Amino acid sequence: MKKKTIGSLAAAAAAVLALSACGGGSSAEAGKGEINYWLWDANQLPAYKQCAEDFTKANPDITVKVTQRGWDDYWGTLTNGFVAGTAPDVFTDHLGKYPEFIKNKQLLALDDAVAKDNVDTGAYNAGLADLWVGEDGKRYGLPKDWDTIALFYNTKLATDAGVSAAQMADLTWNPDDGGSYEKTIAHLTVDKNGVRGDEAGFDKNNVEVYGLGLTGSGSGQGQTEWSYLTGTTGWTHTDKNPWGKKFNYDDPKFQESIDWFAGLVEKGYMPKLETTVGASMADTFAAGKSVINANGSWMIGQYTGYKDVQVGIAPTPKGVSGKRASMYNGLADSIYAGTKKPEAAIKWVEYLGSTACQDVVASKAVVFPAITTSADKAVEAFKAKGVDVTAFSQQVDDGTTFLFPIADNAAKVDGIMKPAMDAVVSGKAPASSLTAANEQVNALFK
Amino acid sequence: MTTTHAPATSRVKSTRRRRPINWRKSGAWVLVAIAVAVSVLPFYWVLRTALSTNGSLATNASNLLPADFNLGAFKRVFGLQSPEEAIADGGSGAQIDFWIYLRNSVLFAAITTASAVFFSAMAAYAFARLRWRGRNVVFSLFLATMMVPPIFTALPNFLLIKNMGLLNSMLGLVLPYIFMTPFAIFFLRQFFLNMSREVEEAAKLDGASHLRIFFQIILPNAAAPLATLALLTFIGQWNEYFWPLLVGQDESVRVLTVGLGVFKSQSPQGAPDWSGLMAATLVSALPVLILFAIFGKKIVNSIGFSGIK
Amino acid sequence: MTTLTRNASPAEQVLPGTRRRRGRGDVKIALFFIAPAMIGFVLFYLVPTLRGIYLSFTEYSILGEPEWIGVANYQAIAKDPLFWNALGVTTQYVLINIVLQTALALGLALLMHRVAKSTIIRGALLLPYLMANVIAALLWFWLLDYQIGIVNFLIDSIGLPKIAFFGSAEWAIPTQALINTWRHMGYTALLIFAGLQSIPSHLYEVANLDGASPMQTFRKITLPLLRPVLALVLIVTIIGSFQVFDTVAVTTQGGPVNASRVLQFYIYQKAFTESDFGYGSALAVILFAILAIVAFIQMKFLKGNESDLD
Repeated sequence: MKKKTIGSLAAAAAAVLALSACGGGSSAEAGKGEINYWLWDANQLPAYKQCAEDFTKANPDITVKVTQRGWDDYWGTLTNGFVAGTAPDVFTDHLGKYPEFIKNKQLLALDDAVAKDNVDTGAYNAGLADLWVGEDGKRYGLPKDWDTIALFYNTKLATDAGVSAAQMADLTWNPDDGGSYEKTIAHLTVDKNGVRGDEAGFDKNNVEVYGLGLTGSGSGQGQTEWSYLTGTTGWTHTDKNPWGKKFNYDDPKFQESIDWFAGLVEKGYMPKLETTVGASMADTFAAGKSVINANGSWMIGQYTGYKDVQVGIAPTPKGVSGKRASMYNGLADSIYAGTKKPEAAIKWVEYLGSTACQDVVASKAVVFPAITTSADKAVEAFKAKGVDVTAFSQQVDDGTTFLFPIADNAAKVDGIMKPAMDAVVSGKAPASSLTAANEQVNALFK
Repeated sequence: MTTTHAPATSRVKSTRRRRPINWRKSGAWVLVAIAVAVSVLPFYWVLRTALSTNGSLATNASNLLPADFNLGAFKRVFGLQSPEEAIADGGSGAQIDFWIYLRNSVLFAAITTASAVFFSAMAAYAFARLRWRGRNVVFSLFLATMMVPPIFTALPNFLLIKNMGLLNSMLGLVLPYIFMTPFAIFFLRQFFLNMSREVEEAAKLDGASHLRIFFQIILPNAAAPLATLALLTFIGQWNEYFWPLLVGQDESVRVLTVGLGVFKSQSPQGAPDWSGLMAATLVSALPVLILFAIFGKKIVNSIGFSGIK
Repeated sequence: MTTLTRNASPAEQVLPGTRRRRGRGDVKIALFFIAPAMIGFVLFYLVPTLRGIYLSFTEYSILGEPEWIGVANYQAIAKDPLFWNALGVTTQYVLINIVLQTALALGLALLMHRVAKSTIIRGALLLPYLMANVIAALLWFWLLDYQIGIVNFLIDSIGLPKIAFFGSAEWAIPTQALINTWRHMGYTALLIFAGLQSIPSHLYEVANLDGASPMQTFRKITLPLLRPVLALVLIVTIIGSFQVFDTVAVTTQGGPVNASRVLQFYIYQKAFTESDFGYGSALAVILFAILAIVAFIQMKFLKGNESDLD
């Protein structure tokens, strides 16, 4: 009914304007013509344009139009595209978003194609391919890349403090006294009078350089903030992953870790949450305001791009389990269920997920491709640029990663956990207050 | 334009001079100077950042001069850097066709402004100067549209344009704006209310039609508010972002705001290409500045001038 | 001097609100004059709005089909602490904005009118408005950064404690309001200035001859005759302020905790981020109702429909 109203009004307006509305001719066959592909990271645009060209060379009857739009606009315009039926045939997909798309039947299942074309999901790094299988057991994406967490640190400030690269690579942590991680952070902290954080007379209210930088409270995931610590305690975000139905923010193990984390602020070793709303943590790092920054591998380019700042990359500390831990997140390419050229789209997605394209991506040294051999090439490409990224890749090699928590209601969970974690990290509430938030979160799944 | 001097202002000025309160005037100038400083100084920072190298900005955060002086940001804005160079400079690998975006922006802003101001003036005339039943109710409805949260309208309008087959066309871009803007109607109505009826009544007695009154009396007399409104509308349209982003995705109809959006942060947690963003801000503000420089004087003059033919 | 005289005699002066010559009316001609605007109104405002109102009674995730649930959304909103918080926060923003912006703009307009007539000054004051909302917000986000922002460097260098403009609960909203004031001050001043220019000069002459002080002139002539324009400015500013979104979205995103979760941002979060479009629509309808009431009161109170020209 609604549609009709709009339709007739449209017709009326068209008549008034004496326009001849020209519908786009969409009679092309399903396996031919131009398909649209979207991604958000502009740094990867050259690589994927190259892939598109190579792909057209191999499949002369298909061309790929690559469109890039920034993260902030990406999801809004994509949703509008879903509603209007104008979404791109293929697009870069995120784990935090795709459960919602599955629920609303916006994604094309790839199982038949993957079986028919013998796509080897074993070529991808362990676990990545499984991330993109929905609760219904169907596959909704082919992995394109992955990321882990490591510690970026300012080598000059560390050396000044007598902290060596070897020490940085061998940190330990526990939630009780923080282990050598906390000792190092304390030692790297310097107040206005030049007194270090572990020395007598340290003025925690006038800190010049913080030992550890802070991006934010981490909301419910703490991907770069605290998950590399909580992951070593045996704690997991959800009862199972993927598709957990119950969150564990009420676990004392977790709350203990968060109390330690928030305590760093109180001790003056980490900036107050309220002071971190503004310039990115990386920029304040470059300005010499903090020495260690835990951050994701997608930020390598940013951290190594500053002039006059020497950056070292150390693995995350060994924790309670005696091992390191890093959240393991991956992107994939998905196909829009409303595509008019499913066959061409599938060909393109398979090409994106193939060694041919992922090697091209690897050569640009921006991210780690999903295919194991391509990821190795990326490590080499980074090395050629003078950046040692083993701190990121060793987590995968050693099997110390855990998967990004995938669950329904991601946005609603975030809506509850963001304010709750903000309150804790800013010292306005104890970590035990997260129990109440956890109840709210779990109520979403009832 | 013959009488360019506003009698009101000149009189006030002369009376002021006679009084021994010059301190009042100098005080006023100090206030003006402060206001100008507050308005303009941040733009120095914009310029300073635009002339800096991205990689050096953070390390020179408190330096008042450009950090590592470099014109790369402007080159990026005009699409003169190769993607590799741009990425190395902390920019994005996106391709930029500056002149096409500029053309589209000019077309988009000019068409919508001219058309919306004209049609809104017609409507405002009906609301302010004509007598008809239901006038205030209809006006209230129009006024109410100003209060509709844009979130409501974007999606249905997008669907409408799509169903008309106008996605990625200039017509689709301008269509929602060309008939009126609620603000323009409201604005002009308030001015028309204040106009004297004397001349209008006289013209009516002479048998002039409403059309003639509108074109020959109302519009010329409202030159000042019309010019002001046009300028403000143009600026607003020039900066319009979300709608062109939705409807004008295609390269051929992409406007400046959307095209230069690549200088904003492109990935979560990433920092924007600050120098590129600031250079883009300056460059895209330039056409409006030029417009103001050309027509600004006219606006001043016409504001003081309130004559009829 | 071909100045259009405006001292229409009281008998001639017809207040638009009154319906003197009823019956006769100008319906046909009026229809002609508002026809184009009416098309735009119906197509691009009325239809989407009615659709939005309909959706506010449904459960709808944008991508699925709307499902009628009656007033359930409204009932939930009444009990939603975040809604009441958003209302409070938004009101705070609006108040700061209105007071600052209107006062400053009125002052500036008077200065432009009487003292600083140069186009260059007018252009300089309008400069911030040339910057898109989002860019202005990003610029200030950076200028005001606690750790590496130049403003805090200056504050620090004169020995004052640095301010977490965006991060602290007390400052988050005032900062947003200040940024908005910065961008719109010149714009609003220009609107008022245009209104000042349309006040007939002979009124000032008379006042001068009568020996009225500048203050008296302002109160007895300027202010009353500025009423339609002031009503416009106030209504536009209030409506604009209630709809604050861009600056919050690119800076604090509602934080810290909920300190800057303004209504429009909350609507956006509900409707798009959390895909609860029905709930978002209901919130939007409430916002719409609030604005309509405020505007109505203002029009009555300020008699924005009338001019005091006599």
